[in-house]
Formats: sequence, structure tokens, C-alpha cells
Amino acid sequence: MTEMLTGAQILCRTLVEGGVDVIFGYPGGAIMPFYHALGDHPRLRHILVRHEQAAAHAADGYARASGRVGVCVATSGPGATNLVTGLATAHMDSSPVVAITGQVPRAMIGRDAFQETDIIGMTLPITKQNYLVQDVAELAAVVREALAIAQEGRPGPVLIDVPKDVQNQKTAFLGLGPRGSGLDTRAPSPNPQDPDGVREAARLIAAAERPLLMVGHGVILGNAYTEVRALAEKTGIPVITTLLGISAFPDGHPLFLGMPGMHGEVRVNRAIQHADLIVGIGLRFDDRVTGNTAGFAPRARIVHIDLDRAEIGKNVPVAVGIVGDARDVTRRLAAVVQPRTCVPWLEEIREFTRPRAAAFRGDLAPETILASLYQATEGRCTIVTDVGQHQMWVAKLYPYREPNSHITSGGLGTMGFAVPAAMGVHLARPHETVWAISGDGGFQMNMAEIGTMVQEQLPVKMAIFNNGYLGMVRQWQQFFHGKRYSCTPIWSPDYVKLAEAYGIPGWRVKDAAALPDAVAQANDHAGPALVEFVIEQEANVYPMIPPGGSLSEPIETAPAAGD
Amino acid sequence: MPASHTVAVLLDDALLTLNRAVGVLRRRNVAIEHLALRPSDTAGVSRLTFVLKTDPATADRVVQQFHKIVGVRDVMLVATEDSTTEV
Repeated sequence: MTEMLTGAQILCRTLVEGGVDVIFGYPGGAIMPFYHALGDHPRLRHILVRHEQAAAHAADGYARASGRVGVCVATSGPGATNLVTGLATAHMDSSPVVAITGQVPRAMIGRDAFQETDIIGMTLPITKQNYLVQDVAELAAVVREALAIAQEGRPGPVLIDVPKDVQNQKTAFLGLGPRGSGLDTRAPSPNPQDPDGVREAARLIAAAERPLLMVGHGVILGNAYTEVRALAEKTGIPVITTLLGISAFPDGHPLFLGMPGMHGEVRVNRAIQHADLIVGIGLRFDDRVTGNTAGFAPRARIVHIDLDRAEIGKNVPVAVGIVGDARDVTRRLAAVVQPRTCVPWLEEIREFTRPRAAAFRGDLAPETILASLYQATEGRCTIVTDVGQHQMWVAKLYPYREPNSHITSGGLGTMGFAVPAAMGVHLARPHETVWAISGDGGFQMNMAEIGTMVQEQLPVKMAIFNNGYLGMVRQWQQFFHGKRYSCTPIWSPDYVKLAEAYGIPGWRVKDAAALPDAVAQANDHAGPALVEFVIEQEANVYPMIPPGGSLSEPIETAPAAGD
Repeated sequence: MPASHTVAVLLDDALLTLNRAVGVLRRRNVAIEHLALRPSDTAGVSRLTFVLKTDPATADRVVQQFHKIVGVRDVMLVATEDSTTEV
């Protein structure tokens, strides 16, 4: 049935019909008609954040945890520019986010009006697509297309800029009816069939003596866990998961090796350097994974399976490139590959293992903290990490067993991501526990979102690894800048009092004895809760491949004083 | 070995699509020798032609990025000229 609706009403209706049930936003002048219409759409739950950056990260977290589009809304000008970091984060990590921004009325565009900014121009390189809606008659089609583009193929963010007068304009609207269950982003996009590539990959796997599987975010986005596991178990090939691939393959599985790259375990990087075949599924061969590409996997031929044709051969030369959905291609590969084992190779890798050097003084080592967290949650929670040392400790030390239970800002490395993203994860998985783990630096970037959690009743558990430094930068200063700790010591407020000010419980843990109780109580508390872990100030993440260095040359100890 | 690669792109005749296309060249940080835009034989479709001075692998990387732009209809590597053979 055709109705006469305003642009603002059409925005709401098309979001509902697209299966959107929650939006993260912040009102302002140029988006007020939308907020007026929102009152008539109770199916759209609005989460009022404290800063638009948090709206974008929360939408991203929602998208990663649910597999559906995350939506954020902001006004023109500063509201829109505040979304930029979150959109760039979603773009780098292939997360389906749709941002809706208000814009000044059409007649004012180009005149440097109050709160006018060229958000289309600014977000061109960090969106899959963006639109300035000049005619209300196009609006419904634009929103429907934006929701589709965000999810199809390799997911990513899309921005819709809607001038205020377009939001107020009326036009005939023909609804499609609500989709109810929401859009399924896991639907594979049409693949070019590539039987030759799959056969060639199978032949290389049969001939290899030292093969490795490297799996990335594409396996999580493509829901290819079962297929990857089947391929690994049929061939006995050990499995490496990249930072964003963590939880794509169960930690503790006999074929699981760990994370590669800059902070990868020595045995994982050595395995790469000795491998004669690497089958990469849904990863980008990012520089944090490869180190210096000239020295990366010098003996290996590479089979690269990725949905995005532009990724094949972008960073490393490949012997066989297969463009396609991770699940579909892996299933076909697993079907044709000959069953085999890799017993001597696994034995060789076992010998690469080094005892983990005691990197921490005191009894509150990250390993101990994370073990306590695992115990309290029985391993059944989603962990959202920020960026820096704690992120690497969690990636290396927390034993993920559930698929897609690890969410972090990988490609862009956005400090401040964890706290707001965890709010989105909670809304996507309301019956599961969500822990946001941050350092004292990243936590202070977006800690205002505790206010959002209290107002909107989002029971996110926040953990702060407080070492009084911007720890990863300090570590680099120690290793590469003669231990000149320039501007990295960082003061923190009293986090327990901060929690109290927001009316939520908070704990400060200084030694291992107090650890289990604090973590368990925070975990079991019905609402948001905060735990600060006071850890050793100058603890380092080992091993470390220096930036631009080879995976063969890890740093495993701090430079001697005076170096 | 750097060579001159001529690439032709057929894209929607819309300022935003053009902006996005030219943005890819800037974003991917490649040297452009020549850039031209003219109408194509099809109404509503423009033809963007540019010459990249780079190695073949980089030229291919750039071409692949163009395939991802919404509004780009076709991307063709139309000529490669080895710079060492230039007079």
C-alpha cells in the first residue's frame, strides 16, 4: 500500500523493514526530523551514546557479534566527523555498518553553513559506498541498497547523508513489510566457480611436506568454522589464526598452533619460515602478520582464498589464488583433498617451542588475570579488546573455544574501541556475558560510555590493565628509542571512585589473592561492573618482531641498560 | 621494472563516482602520467583513462581496486609500454 511519508519516516520504516532493531546515535540540529519520527517506531531501540565515535564502534561491535548490519546515527558537522574513526575501523576490519548523518538543508550546502561539513568527501576512502540524498523519492531505495551493500561480498561501512529538508519532504512510500528475523549477512555472494584453482590447491596440499593453514577474519565472517576444521582434520595440517581469525579454530585442538606475526609465538613464526606450503583462508597477509614480506615464508608456495579479488597477491605473491566465499571454497577443497597426516612436520614444530620466558614480576601477571577470567566465565563469554599490550596478551593467552568470541580492532588499531564496541556486542548477544578489556590509555579515551551503559542498562563488564603507561608505545621506546619514555606515562583517576560516581560496582586488584573474588563478583553482577588490575609498569609483550623485520628474528628480552 | 600502463575505466557519469575513482589513484599512492575524462559511447557513462608509471604487479593491484567501486562498469588494462623501449 502506498502512503505519503516524510523522509524521516521513510528512514525509520526502511530500517525496520531491513530487520534493524537497534541504532546507536546522538541527536542534533540537522537530524532532528529523524529523531522526531523515531518516537513512532518502538521496534527501533535507540541507544544514546556519549560521543558519536562510540555510536560507530558500538554499531561495529553489534555487527561483528550478530552478523547483521550495525546502524549508527549522527547529526551534521561535528556529529558526522566524530563517526569517522569508527567507520575507518569498520572499513579496515570488513564490518557491515550503516551510518546515517543529518546534513544542512540542500539550499545551504556549499555555503559553509552552521554545522555543515563534507562528510561524503571525508568518508570516500573509508566506506564501501556513500550517498548524499538530494531527493526524498530516492531515499527508500538508497537505504535498502545501503543495507545490502554493507553486507554483500566483503562487508564494510556505508554512509547515507540526508539533508534536513529532505527528511521533512513528503513522498509516496511503498513498504516491503518488515523482514522480521533480520538480514542474514552470512549468505555467500555469488562465486566465480574455480575448479582448477581448488584442484591445484589440493594437488599442492598432497605434495607438501610442511603445510600450514592460516585462517583470518574471512572464516568468521563467512561462518566457515566447520569447513576449516574438516579440512584441517582430513589433512592433519596445523592451523594458525591471525588476530582477527582468533576463535575461528578452537584453541586446545591438537592442530592449533596460535597467532603469527609481530607478537606471534616463536614456534608459529618458525613454522611459517620453514613451511613449504601456506593455505591462507580469508586473511590479508597484513604487515603485522608477515613482517618484512621479502623474508616472509621464504620456502612456501602460497594458496590464497579470499572473497575480495583485490586481496589476492596484494601483499605476498601467490601460487594459486581462489576468489570466493571462505565456506564454499573450503568445503570444496576439503571434499577433493586426499586424506593425509603431517606427523613429522608436527614433531618438527613441537621442537620449535620455546619455554615462555618469565616476563612479569610480581604475581599479577596477565596470564594469571586471564586464567581467572576464564575460570569465572567458564570460557563462555565474548571478549572485546582494545589496542596495545593487553590486546596481545589476551590474543596469546586467552583460550578461545567458542567461534567469534574474540572481537578487537585489528586493521586500524583503534584505541578506545573496546568499551563502546562491547555495548554493541551485548545488544547482539543479550544473554551472554561481555567483557571489555582495555589498557589504562584506551579506557580513558571512551570511559564516558559508562554513562550510556547505566542509562541504557547494558551490563558490560570492564577490565582495565593499568600499568601507568601507554604500554605498547613505552615498549617500543624501550627497544627502539633508547628508553626515552617520551609522553607515555599516563595518570589515571581512581577507577573505583569513578565506578562509584556512575553508581556501578568497581574493584581494584593489586595481587593475585584478591583476583578470583573480584573477577567472579564483577562477572556475576547484574549490571555493568568495572575491575582495575594494577599490573607491573614495565612488563613487555614477548616475543616481538621489530617493525619491518623478519619473522626469523624475534626479540625475546629487553635491551640491556645503556643500549 | 616500471612501465607505462594505460587503464580505461567505464563509470557512471556522476560526480561522486568520479571522485571515488580518482580517490583510489591518490589513496593507492601510484604515479600518474596522464589522466583524461570524456563521455563514452553510452549515455550516462564516462570513460576515465589514465596512465600509470609503475611495475606490472602494482598496476594490477590498482586495476583490482577499481573493480570494487560501486558505479564502475568496466576496467581494462589497454596497453603496457616498457619504459626502456621509449625513444
